Amino acid sequence: MAQLSYREAVAAGIAQEMRRDDKVVFIGEDVAAAGGVFKTTEGLQAEFGALRVRDTPIAEQAILGATMGAAMTGLRPIAEIMFSDFFAVCWDIVVNQIAKTRFMSNGQCSFPLVIRSANGGGARFGAQHSQSVENWAMAVPGLKVVAPSSAADVKGLLAAAIRDPDPVLFFEQKSLYGTKGEVPEGEHVEPLGKAKVLREGSDVSIVALAAMVPRALQAAETLQSEHNISAEVVDVRSLVPLDTTTIFASVSKTARLVTVEENPRLCGWGAEVSSLVAEELFWDLDSPIVRVTTPHVPLPSADALEDAVLPSAERIVANVVRLAD
Amino acid sequence: MNDSSGQLMAAVRNASAPDRDTRLALYRQMQACRMMEQRAYDLFMQNLIKGTSHLALGQEAVAAGFGVAMRDDDYSFCTYRGHNHTLARGASMTGILGELMGRECGLLGGKGGSMHLMDVDKGAMGSYAIIGAHMPIAAGAAWSAQYRESGQVAVCFFGDGTTNIGAFHESINFAAIWGLPVVYVCENNLYMEYTPIGEVTAVPNPGADRASAYGLEPVLADGNDVDVMYALASAALEKARSGDGPSLIEVQTYRHGGHSRADPGKYRPDEEVAAWKARDPIPMYRQRLLDGGIDEATLAAIDDEQAARVDKAEQTARASGPPLLEVADTDVWADGSSSWRN
Amino acid sequence: MDVLMPQLGETVAEGTIAAWHKKAGDTVERGDLLLDVETDKVATEITAPESGVLSSILIAEGETVDVGTVLAVIAVDGEAAGAPPAQTKAPGAAESAAPQAASGMPEKSADGRLSPVVRRLVKQHNLDIKEVAGSGRDGRITRQDVLNLVSAGAQSAAATGLATASQRIPFDRVRKVTADRMVRSKATSPHVLQAIDIDFHAVDASRLTRRNQWKTEKGYSLTYLPYVARAVCLAIRDFPKVNASVDGDALVVHSDINLAIAIDLNHEGLLAAVARKADSLSVSELAQTFNELVTRAKSNKLVPDDLQGGTYTLSNPGPFGTLFTAPIINQPQVAILSMDAVKKRPHVVESAAGDEIAIRPIGVLAHSFDHRAIDGAYSAAYLQRLKTIIETTDWDAEF
Repeated sequence: MAQLSYREAVAAGIAQEMRRDDKVVFIGEDVAAAGGVFKTTEGLQAEFGALRVRDTPIAEQAILGATMGAAMTGLRPIAEIMFSDFFAVCWDIVVNQIAKTRFMSNGQCSFPLVIRSANGGGARFGAQHSQSVENWAMAVPGLKVVAPSSAADVKGLLAAAIRDPDPVLFFEQKSLYGTKGEVPEGEHVEPLGKAKVLREGSDVSIVALAAMVPRALQAAETLQSEHNISAEVVDVRSLVPLDTTTIFASVSKTARLVTVEENPRLCGWGAEVSSLVAEELFWDLDSPIVRVTTPHVPLPSADALEDAVLPSAERIVANVVRLAD
Repeated sequence: MNDSSGQLMAAVRNASAPDRDTRLALYRQMQACRMMEQRAYDLFMQNLIKGTSHLALGQEAVAAGFGVAMRDDDYSFCTYRGHNHTLARGASMTGILGELMGRECGLLGGKGGSMHLMDVDKGAMGSYAIIGAHMPIAAGAAWSAQYRESGQVAVCFFGDGTTNIGAFHESINFAAIWGLPVVYVCENNLYMEYTPIGEVTAVPNPGADRASAYGLEPVLADGNDVDVMYALASAALEKARSGDGPSLIEVQTYRHGGHSRADPGKYRPDEEVAAWKARDPIPMYRQRLLDGGIDEATLAAIDDEQAARVDKAEQTARASGPPLLEVADTDVWADGSSSWRN
Repeated sequence: MDVLMPQLGETVAEGTIAAWHKKAGDTVERGDLLLDVETDKVATEITAPESGVLSSILIAEGETVDVGTVLAVIAVDGEAAGAPPAQTKAPGAAESAAPQAASGMPEKSADGRLSPVVRRLVKQHNLDIKEVAGSGRDGRITRQDVLNLVSAGAQSAAATGLATASQRIPFDRVRKVTADRMVRSKATSPHVLQAIDIDFHAVDASRLTRRNQWKTEKGYSLTYLPYVARAVCLAIRDFPKVNASVDGDALVVHSDINLAIAIDLNHEGLLAAVARKADSLSVSELAQTFNELVTRAKSNKLVPDDLQGGTYTLSNPGPFGTLFTAPIINQPQVAILSMDAVKKRPHVVESAAGDEIAIRPIGVLAHSFDHRAIDGAYSAAYLQRLKTIIETTDWDAEF
């Protein structure tokens, strides 16, 4: 086992795959010579050369269009969109071109590409550099959507994404870049489409994603020690494909569901999971389903304000306690 | 990288006529395109083609010139006005008409439709319905060819209106800085949908006048002269294939019909339409071939052959039923499924 | 005219349709039997209040509704509105038989704030939701509450060694009500049992000479019960506090003695039917009254007045041969007397001439009393008085 930071795990995952397959190439803004604005891709150009790891102009449509063209003609490209907010600039390429072309062509080509991006708030960057947009991607058929919560999962899920024959949007939560964790040595691959129960419990299922996972775990500790409530914490990891089996097994056991997300109040991924549970596990529920989300506002920049709107461990605890009778 | 050598224009001026086989191939391809596209018009009027379609009647010389010049393994990308471009790469005419009619035998199984014709085996890497989106994709295919050192070239066809959208700028700049083997072909048919292109473009020649912004040679040519098209295509392909980077080519042409089936094109002055129809590429070329010594019988045989081909394609497509309903949720993913959960 | 769910007793709030005897479209005469209704205490027949056509039945068999609910509609002779002639059996009548069917959605459950999992478990395990205590906020029933009840049931089944071979017999309405009332009675009154043995020699002097003729004339037997009942009425005059009710922190002593007798319904349930103002009845009148009550009870013809207003209860398992019983008080009374078997036993008879052993009919009277109302000495004294009355009264004179 090695101790890696979440950001180091990005480079480790890319490197692992670039070593085993020379079709894997990587492009983005400031990713090669500078190693990425978040220092997530340091050392890659040095190891793999300027043909495989390339800097691009500020041209998101070109970056993703080129990634798509390369993927449909034999390469396995990885592209970086520096801040996930910038997906809006090139959303046509993602949802109209990449997501749909295999289907429209009746399966004539496939798109084994990965678009990784720094997602989410907590860094005081303001509303145009702090959004969590994995729910935008979840809403479009034809895109796989992944969001790891730990260094080990960054490496393992990124490796799986690169090996996957379909387009994968890989959301790295920027507030987690500095966190550290144990990462297995050697080749490490985690499966897409599998959630993970990180903490077992019996009174409530807290289903969380990315940066909300550590907060959910913290909340579970508090719930046990101060409220004698046994919370089970499920890390969703993949939104598409979604591991409904694991989520349903948990909620059947506890009879209560609380989702925790960084998305705004409307149409976040938690709404979809809640709806699936409400429809398919109705007869197992002992309490209403609760979604803990960011309120429906653009994210404010002042640290005190941003901390107040992003779901905290305290808010998770309060929402669970409110459910318990 | 500033290419002011006029290399491509010179190649056009100095090009000798293609050999007989090539000329017949060019003529054959133009007739195939014309007859198929005309038949598509008729089928639409009979309500056998639904939705809409964007016909390229009158613009056959561009598709034929480049189609014949390209290598089989080169990549082509075109817009929603792409029936001819797809046919010119060797896609099945039955498949194209079948796709327009939404039949099981369609090139895309009835799932894509008129605006998305694609035949990957023939290098026809898709028709794209979002203005400009295919330009960076073409750059990507070129990047892949460059990386793999395969010698393949990507050709990207688009209209005059596309030159004003953001993706145009990003793609050509991108291709230029990486020296990608991609040929960008602007088919200027003088109208951005219903609007004269001059009213919405800051420069007179929407393609050629932008080339120097990317350090590329300004190239402006007659899109209705198939010999010129063939010469230009050959030069640009050779330039790309040899590692000398991308080109931006503007060719002037004219569509006989409106923008789409819904549009009778009444916004165009009658004299203008008449003048361009007088320069219809196919009768013009037919005459040139006759003048150059090819006999009428040979040309008539090609005409008959293509007419029969279209009839047969239409017949086969009509006889095909609609797609099975099961295909509606297939092939979202590489494994053939569309499943998003377990 | 509407046929309503009647109020079949002061504390009765709802009733269950046990059976319809007519169907929609039938012509009915005033007084015709329309349906059977069950309440907490009794099954009752409802007759047609008017003649006409039963145009619609609104509540189906098995449904439980509040008092006052419209059960059916009779189109009274002469009423024009909506009354199809019986012969044509108009479709409207058939449709309105089940008006809930107009909406495609099943009726919303009226069971309050029960969560989906609670509803499912209750249905699955055939529980009565009234049996489940809610430990959640505001008394909400949680999943754990239901599961606790289920496992307690399973445990007690296991504890008695019934385990897998048991047959599960869901309680019917009468059983459920009985169970509930018994638990509540025990929870309300601190029960004390006192017993006294009685020599029925003097009673037999009257009873044995009369009984054959009684049986022939009346068609039923003359038992010890009316004699004991008479004795109880007499003893209560001297000890009125056993004929009372506890109300908060007061004892309400009743002036009337409305004697309730416990009647077993063929092992299918228990009723207490009341002989009103029993102290004004002679032994034979008591016998007659009791027999009528029993007959009505067994043929399901008791009326609410038969069941209400009791002030003291007699239970008589004697015919079954028991020695003594500790009966459960019939709330809101404060005492209940069980009269078990009267059997010939060797008995010491004292006389001036000395003690002798004689064969005497001996029976035990067991008195359960509510220790809030009276104390042991009072009850004992009452029993002693009862004994004296039974053993020394000239019963023929009381007859």
